[in-house]
Amino acid sequence: MSIRRHMSTVRQYELIYIVPPETTEEALAELQSQVESITQRFGATIEKTENWGRRKLAYEIGKHRDGVYVLHVINGPAEMVTELDRRLRVFDLVVRHIVVRVDEELAIAERARTRRKSAMANRRVKRGLPPEPTEQERNRRHEDDDDLDGPEMGFRGGDR
Amino acid sequence: MSDFEGRGGGGRGGRGGDKDKDDKKGGGRRTFFRRRRVCKFCVDKIDYISYKDVKLLAPFIPERGKIQPRRISGVCATHQRALQRAIKRARQIALVPYVAD
Repeated sequence: MSIRRHMSTVRQYELIYIVPPETTEEALAELQSQVESITQRFGATIEKTENWGRRKLAYEIGKHRDGVYVLHVINGPAEMVTELDRRLRVFDLVVRHIVVRVDEELAIAERARTRRKSAMANRRVKRGLPPEPTEQERNRRHEDDDDLDGPEMGFRGGDR
Repeated sequence: MSDFEGRGGGGRGGRGGDKDKDDKKGGGRRTFFRRRRVCKFCVDKIDYISYKDVKLLAPFIPERGKIQPRRISGVCATHQRALQRAIKRARQIALVPYVAD
């Protein structure tokens, strides 16, 4: 494999896989433990596991129209992803899988959130208001919104 | 036009002002009101467009399954890019169709 420094930097990934709805509990548990053992080998931790249950697929995959979605949020190194990917490809049980790196995007979102919050607090303090909007203010703004500004409104004549 | 240039700086400003007023009074020039373009994600302050959130993506995927262009949805460039990425990922795991008929 590629020779890189900091080969074991921990990153956050989301792994989603789809298994057929007729899969037995045991088979699914077996698959999950397999995934777990792979992650453990790379010193990764599974932060969260979600079973979305049976969902309709947006399009047919092979002969399947429905599938059970399972999501794992994993903190681990990049090499783990290649391994996971390879192994999941081999399992007949897995209809489809995807691994997405999420730490960077979540960090960007978090930065945007804090920046906006602090900007709002600054503006409000300048106007002599408390930095956080009160419950009352939030409600008022909601009532004022007539929700008539979507693209469906089309051209608007008149003095607006 | 030559008359306009012949005047001094001060006169120019005055004249320009008058002209504007005339326009408004007579309603000579048609004024077009552009539709208010609002980016849903900016308004709702959504920082991260997750590919897992089908409810969030659905309004931007018309019947045919294509990604709705910005010129129609009014989404800002930054969020359109994020939206595009999210939709493409969602397609990969069959949360959202590639093509729908």
